[in-house]
Amino acid sequence: MSLIDTTTPILSARGVHHAFGQTEALRGIDVDVHAGEVLAVMGPSGSGKSTLLHCLAGILAPVRGTVAYAPPGLNPVNISGLGETERSRLRLTDFGFVFQFGQLLPELTALDNVSLPLLLGGTKRAEARQRSEELLERLGLNGFAAKLPGELSGGQAQRAAIARALVTSPAVLFADEPTGSLDSLAAENVLTLMLDLVREAGTTVVMITHDARTAAYADREVIVRDGIISAGYRVPA
Amino acid sequence: MNPAVLKMALLGSRSSWGRMAGIGGGVAIGVCLVLLLWSAANGLAQRDARGAWLREMGQTSVNVPLAADGRTVNGPPEPIPLTPETILLGSLQDVFRDQVISHRDIAALPGATVKIPGIAAPPAPGQYYASPALQRLIESTPAGELGDRYGKFAGVIDDSALPGPDALVVISGATEAQLRQGPAAMLVTEFTTNPYGESAGLYRTALLVGGIAVLFPVLLLVSIATGLGAAQRRERFATLRLIGASPRLVAGMAAVETAIPSLAGALLGVVMAVAFRPAAAQIPVNGTRVFLADFTFGAGFAVTAVVLVSAACALVAARRTARTGIGPLGATRAMTEKTPTVWRAVPLLAGLAGMATGAVLTKVDTDGIPWTSALLIGGFALTSVGIVTIGPWLTRMVSTIGLHRARRASTVIAASRIRQTPVATFRSVSGLVIAVFMVSVFAGGISAIGTVETPEARPGLLLPTSVYALVAPAYTPGQVASVARSTKELAGIRDTTIGYAKTPLGQGDTMDIYIAANDAPSLGFGDPGSDKIVSFDASFLNAWTSTPVSLAAAPLVSLEGLVPVVMVVRTDGTPAAIDRARTALDASGVTATPGTSPADLAIMSNTRLIQGLAAHAYIGVFVAVVVAGISLAVSTAAAILDRKRVLGLMRLMGMPVSVLRKVIVQEAAVPLLAVLLLSVGLGFLVAWLMISSFGGGRTISWPSTEYYAALSFSLLLALAAVAATFGLVRSNTAITATRFE
Amino acid sequence: MNNTLALLGLLGREPSYGYDLKHSYDRYFGVQKPLAFGQVYSTLARMFRDDLIMALGEESGGGPDRKKYEITLTGRDKVRQWLFTPDVPSETLQSELFAKTVIALLLDDDADGLLDAQRAEHMARMRELTRLKRDADLLQVLMCDHGLFHIEADLRWIELTSARLTQLKKELQSA
Repeated sequence: MSLIDTTTPILSARGVHHAFGQTEALRGIDVDVHAGEVLAVMGPSGSGKSTLLHCLAGILAPVRGTVAYAPPGLNPVNISGLGETERSRLRLTDFGFVFQFGQLLPELTALDNVSLPLLLGGTKRAEARQRSEELLERLGLNGFAAKLPGELSGGQAQRAAIARALVTSPAVLFADEPTGSLDSLAAENVLTLMLDLVREAGTTVVMITHDARTAAYADREVIVRDGIISAGYRVPA
Repeated sequence: MNPAVLKMALLGSRSSWGRMAGIGGGVAIGVCLVLLLWSAANGLAQRDARGAWLREMGQTSVNVPLAADGRTVNGPPEPIPLTPETILLGSLQDVFRDQVISHRDIAALPGATVKIPGIAAPPAPGQYYASPALQRLIESTPAGELGDRYGKFAGVIDDSALPGPDALVVISGATEAQLRQGPAAMLVTEFTTNPYGESAGLYRTALLVGGIAVLFPVLLLVSIATGLGAAQRRERFATLRLIGASPRLVAGMAAVETAIPSLAGALLGVVMAVAFRPAAAQIPVNGTRVFLADFTFGAGFAVTAVVLVSAACALVAARRTARTGIGPLGATRAMTEKTPTVWRAVPLLAGLAGMATGAVLTKVDTDGIPWTSALLIGGFALTSVGIVTIGPWLTRMVSTIGLHRARRASTVIAASRIRQTPVATFRSVSGLVIAVFMVSVFAGGISAIGTVETPEARPGLLLPTSVYALVAPAYTPGQVASVARSTKELAGIRDTTIGYAKTPLGQGDTMDIYIAANDAPSLGFGDPGSDKIVSFDASFLNAWTSTPVSLAAAPLVSLEGLVPVVMVVRTDGTPAAIDRARTALDASGVTATPGTSPADLAIMSNTRLIQGLAAHAYIGVFVAVVVAGISLAVSTAAAILDRKRVLGLMRLMGMPVSVLRKVIVQEAAVPLLAVLLLSVGLGFLVAWLMISSFGGGRTISWPSTEYYAALSFSLLLALAAVAATFGLVRSNTAITATRFE
Repeated sequence: MNNTLALLGLLGREPSYGYDLKHSYDRYFGVQKPLAFGQVYSTLARMFRDDLIMALGEESGGGPDRKKYEITLTGRDKVRQWLFTPDVPSETLQSELFAKTVIALLLDDDADGLLDAQRAEHMARMRELTRLKRDADLLQVLMCDHGLFHIEADLRWIELTSARLTQLKKELQSA
């Protein structure tokens, strides 16, 4: 675990509050994500896991509090203070996303789906295809590049989604129940492939899961309960 | 269907206001247009019925004694005497400025029993009855330009005898002797009420074709609107199927869900038609409007339209839902579209082949084989259908090429989607494509007809600024000369010239007209040289003569003994002066025909009629294009809403909104541009095939500016329609769109 | 796990020396906790006494490590019986933790913290097993998975119990 730099957190949330109308989803979250670590975010349904992830990734701007993102070797920026365009840009270049299902454009082939973020970033199509093909191969999808999402199995589609999330070599990968729709074996294959790639590249991962076996792949877990981080291990007084 | 399920269907449809509004609005526009078109058809029929009497030809007023062989004319014609059961009718077309006035001269015995439409009794000589529109015109114009032609106002003609509120009709009284001088006084015992035989049929056909062209996009709009929110509906129906609803029940619910907004829309359409009726009745057809009372649809027709349209919408919705095959786990067949094959070119090729065959056949056999016109019209219809059929195939081809060459993310997404769903993508623009096709056909056809040029002054042809009238046989040269002198005194009149002939016109064999040589320049002839009397052929007077008539030296020394046959008035060319000349000639009493100018040909020709039709075609195209534009907006919105989850995830991934917008624009632009050029080309090809089969040596030329305006308008509207949905992109792809519920 | 029956099953493949038997056992089952030689020989002796196995060959003068054993018919029956009789789920851990939780609640102590501590312990163990899986062969992976699933089951129980603590406390206090 030499890749984990425990001194500087790559993401750091302080006093993050968020509400949807009258409903408070986050009630003062403090959490650090260290560069290169795989962090599992656990907690019951409705506890605010997804909202926390969205705040960390700059998808939502928290009502109160700050989320600082420190790209490797650069000064931290408060991403909750950035504009929509800058946050979009950040998501495109520095972050990757994997969700439970339904994230591939149904009319695009697996290969085109994977090359999309590169094309958005201005990479030439041929180059984008080549890099996407390599990544698909690493994820065991050689031979499926020309297939449409509807023609892939759940595990294959999820691997394609992971390839798409990682094709830009993001600094942080956000995963929301990445294996939630898969059976145990497929889930394990997908997770193993994903984490091998991630650890090799030193990518930081924030992964939501309610499944302890999935969380066991992480280096560390935090538990969100009622909008706050649960204290975890405490020595009784 | 039991009440509980019905209630559920209603509750379900309540949740999709946009879809309801789309269906209701589409149906409302459609029903409104149908009713207005039907009103127009009724109005035109009524107009022709009201004006039928104007077409009364009557019987000849003379007996031509024939020789024993029954063919040879034996002696001068003998007048048939007037009786109380008959009147003498002279039918004339007067021109004022650029308007044609239907002029009926009537001579009747006292106590004549013939009923003259619109007036109580025949006007006395020197009096006239006028339509309200004409009387207003007379009152607002100096008498010397118009009013003096008809004498003293006796009253207005009743609306029942007028085609429309703008009709210019005058019934003037004349003596029997005056009328018998003229060329075509006829005996009338009863005025016809048969409206057929004039242009009504032509208008009806044009209306029918136009109606189809307008209704096509409306049907499309309704079909697109009923497909709105299809993705959510599929999920909802799938859930119902999961809990045990039968496919029939689900189809029935779809029918109810659609029937309610379409019924509401149809009723709204009736209300709109009632509201727009007065405005629509203002649109003139061939120069005049129809009476508002005639521009009407019956209650029965409205009820039939409402019932038929709502039922059709419901049936279509039920059938579509049944065909989608929604199972408990969601739609089974909706996601994949059958790849369009090259077979889709067949209807188009067949249509063109039919039209080409028809065109060739008319060339080969000019007698006109009865089914050549069927080939032409059928081919035309097939070609129209063919464009819509081939559209998806072309769209797919273009998108395939585009996908290979794509460099940017937006192009990859758009091209891939179009490739997967070419039929649905093309459907959203097919209304515009058909509208462009129709407008191209019209524009091509009109370009061949062209305009009658305002004649130019050329030596040997009657000057365009001149007015002539034939002189009635009974008048002496002195009488005619005094009219000429007094006419010359009028403002704006340059010269008056009297032409003489050996016999009154129409009675002799020769058609030569003699004038004094010093009058030749005022008729536009060159220097006559040293001769005193010169002559020219009578065809000089005809506006349709195009080869200059030459001046010949006459073997006469004086005009003594000749009969004055024509009086020509040269004006300064101002409309007022020309009308003063006409009025002076008509009021003089010595003329047998109304004052006529070479420019009148353009006013009375069919060209005006066709240009009038073209104007309506453009109105129709305007409506069609607007409706097609709305369809495009609605289907673009549907494309966004149906994909909001995936697009939302894309945005979340960091795809800027601008890229999503580019995707939306390209998804509309590719199918539109892929088929637009084709439909423009085909439009002109079809017009050429039709024109060439009509013969007459006409050719297609460059279309008028209206065409380019219509084309640009269509494209602008398409752009606006797509841009209008931009607001949806941002609001519907926010993070909440990606939640799974 | 029942060591006796596992060893007996291994002998069912082929006659074997005690030394080889221990290594076989370790290879298949003893990754976490290898068997001691003494335990192997005492088990063999017990099985010999019960007629489940018999000694092979004439080297009767040697120690137990010089003897080659073969499974008897009785032994085969015993293995089959073990194989096809489902185990009663272990309740030892559950009962222990349950007792702690109840006592904590009764003493008005931090039952939540107790469960959290246990959860952290479980998670740590799960991570350890998951890491072991990374470079292991399939047999070891299956072993680890078995352990993981059991710990996960405990975790779920902990999860559910912690969600019901308030209710549980109320019932305990009213009883």
